[in-house]
Amino acid sequence: MSPQQNPNLQKLMQNSGLWRASSIDRELQSGISSGFDVLDRELPGAGWPADGVTELLYDTPGIGEFRLLAPALARLSRSQSRRIVLISPPYIPYPPALHALGIDLDALLVVRPGNGRDMLWAMEQALGSKGCSVVLAWANRTPGRKRSTGQAQQKGPGNGLEKGLENGLSDKQIRRLQVASKEGRSWHILFRPAAAARVHSPAELRIHLGPDTGGAINLKILKRRGGWETDVIRVNFNDGLNQPTPDFTKLFIPSLKRNHVISNQARRPLDRPVFPATADRNLHPE
Amino acid sequence: MTTRNRVCHINAAAEAFGIRVGSSVDTASTLVEQIVVCNRDEAKEQRMLRHLAQWAYQFTSHVSLKPPLGLLLEAGASLKLFGGIQNITGRLQGGLAGLGFTAAMSVHHTPLAAMTCARAGLPHMTPPEKMPVSALGVEARIIEALQKTGVRSVAEVLALPPAGLSRRFGADFMDHLQRLTGNAADPQRYIGEKPVFVSEINFLSDITDTSALIFPVHRLLQEFHEFLMTRQLRISAFEFRLAHRHHPPREITVTLAEPENDLSLFRLLIQLQLDKVRDVPEVDSVRLSAHRFVSSESVSGDLFHGTRFQQSDGRSGALADRENGLRLINMLHTRLGAQACFGLALANDHRPEKAWTQVPVHQRRDRSLPDMSDESIKRPAFLLHKPYRLQTRDNRPWGNGALTLLAGPERIDFGWWDGDAHVSRDYFIARHSNGALYWLYQEQQSHDWYLHGIFS
Repeated sequence: MSPQQNPNLQKLMQNSGLWRASSIDRELQSGISSGFDVLDRELPGAGWPADGVTELLYDTPGIGEFRLLAPALARLSRSQSRRIVLISPPYIPYPPALHALGIDLDALLVVRPGNGRDMLWAMEQALGSKGCSVVLAWANRTPGRKRSTGQAQQKGPGNGLEKGLENGLSDKQIRRLQVASKEGRSWHILFRPAAAARVHSPAELRIHLGPDTGGAINLKILKRRGGWETDVIRVNFNDGLNQPTPDFTKLFIPSLKRNHVISNQARRPLDRPVFPATADRNLHPE
Repeated sequence: MTTRNRVCHINAAAEAFGIRVGSSVDTASTLVEQIVVCNRDEAKEQRMLRHLAQWAYQFTSHVSLKPPLGLLLEAGASLKLFGGIQNITGRLQGGLAGLGFTAAMSVHHTPLAAMTCARAGLPHMTPPEKMPVSALGVEARIIEALQKTGVRSVAEVLALPPAGLSRRFGADFMDHLQRLTGNAADPQRYIGEKPVFVSEINFLSDITDTSALIFPVHRLLQEFHEFLMTRQLRISAFEFRLAHRHHPPREITVTLAEPENDLSLFRLLIQLQLDKVRDVPEVDSVRLSAHRFVSSESVSGDLFHGTRFQQSDGRSGALADRENGLRLINMLHTRLGAQACFGLALANDHRPEKAWTQVPVHQRRDRSLPDMSDESIKRPAFLLHKPYRLQTRDNRPWGNGALTLLAGPERIDFGWWDGDAHVSRDYFIARHSNGALYWLYQEQQSHDWYLHGIFS
């Protein structure tokens, strides 16, 4: 029996906030356009959500995870009097670049909590405050990975972050953030390690990000409201960043032999980042 | 109560046991074993008096201090506002009782007459003639001499020939009498316009749990809020001091993003601060003080703000958004400290490290900076706090994988004008074999490669 015929089922559909996986509403523009048509087509509400937790799962910083968000952040920073809060960014969010991406710097607020407990507190407060349009939080520690935590914690103050979130965020914590985000009508972007994809999360939207060699980013929506997991979607930035400058190889660079410039393809597997993905205070030559 | 080991104040129970003012502490202890002796702290008394003067400022702007224990309020100008003298005295009594003080109060035409009445416990407006000589508040020598001659009341003093009085007791005494009766002017020094708020609560027993402090602290905040409201002031920072006679005092400063006078916000921030306090073993006094005030400009609020007319679809007024944002900043500041919470701004410098600044969130941004953004120059979204030295392989930068240079070089020269070593860097955009885009530079002197930014 179809739901149209069963009055009980129909009532349930109307009253309980249930949705049918097959009826993702692409016409209704309730989200914030991501600035990339190919992505907007796949997102419920034809854009980034206005609230709720969005998880971005990736391991290597630098693959375009911020440029993916930049058009939406730029629009939000200029169209609303609410703030954009960045919690525990791993590096300095660099104002000249943010400005060039169209983000109004006055809307930004950077928060660097000293430990994981404070970080969670700050996230929940910011989300529930009703004064923020977006709260971005970097919680990308691989769950259970001990490799750098022991070493990092001995290296001076400010590294307590690993302590609180050593095993990543728990189900319960994300649920709290989701509730706060709905209450404060703030969009929560949570950066998490790719390994977190293996565990369940109450987040409304989960996207895995992967690198691409030609000025794009490869993403795969793992979970969305009103839809199934997608195939890999290639989002092209069209910013000319990831393409060699045409005449570049012809330039005379004294200290650089010409053939150095020509790409030598990956000889090693792609799994290791250049340096630890946490705060660069921990960085030290190997 | 004692000063320099002498009893100076006693209660009725002590008097019943035969303890007298002026006897030594030893004598008193001999008489009764279980007496409670407190050392009188005159400096604290004076602080209290000054504080009460500030508090009394809400009734009239003409308040003057009459040390050691008196306050003089010129109420004539406030009669109309409060609707009669009964209202003023009633409110004063009630307010003082609320603050934990008892006062003898008297109303009169001249300052001296009012002081005399209060001291002698006479009803309001007692004619000067009926006042006893002992309450005059002049030197004890004069009172004694007058009493010896059989003069008891002021009426009898006034009946004596003035020339003789002046010769015997000095011109000052005559002047005092003239001012008492209102025949001579008696100008007063009123407390300054500059508002200062200091209020303190002392506990008889030590408090060891900071959560028990919340009630006295709320009382102080309530008082502070009244102070701000009556003067139409806002405050951007105030201080709490938790003290104990055996420990160094602990100061807690609450800093606000914008000047405020919101009691509920103060309570919230203090609660956050108190939750953080771990290292205070015991407390026997709490003090709240504030110095730099900002006069409160009346914000013409949004008519529908905070009412049911406020839109519920996520688009609330810009004013409400701003207030919510400020509230958040205040909370973050208080719990995490001012360094952990900041805004970002461009700086007028071409050096990558100095092309940005961290700005306090409550500081107004300098909008006069020229727009230096140039679409053709690519900058990474994230900059490393300190450039990370890369290894090289076959003269190529290497960092756990090959780095392919995509664009560059962009030469940035600096340091020659401000004393640092002259630095010259060639910046490149590079793609790592793992797909990430980095901002690298090569130092021209050493040919070393560094990683400086990430194009997230």
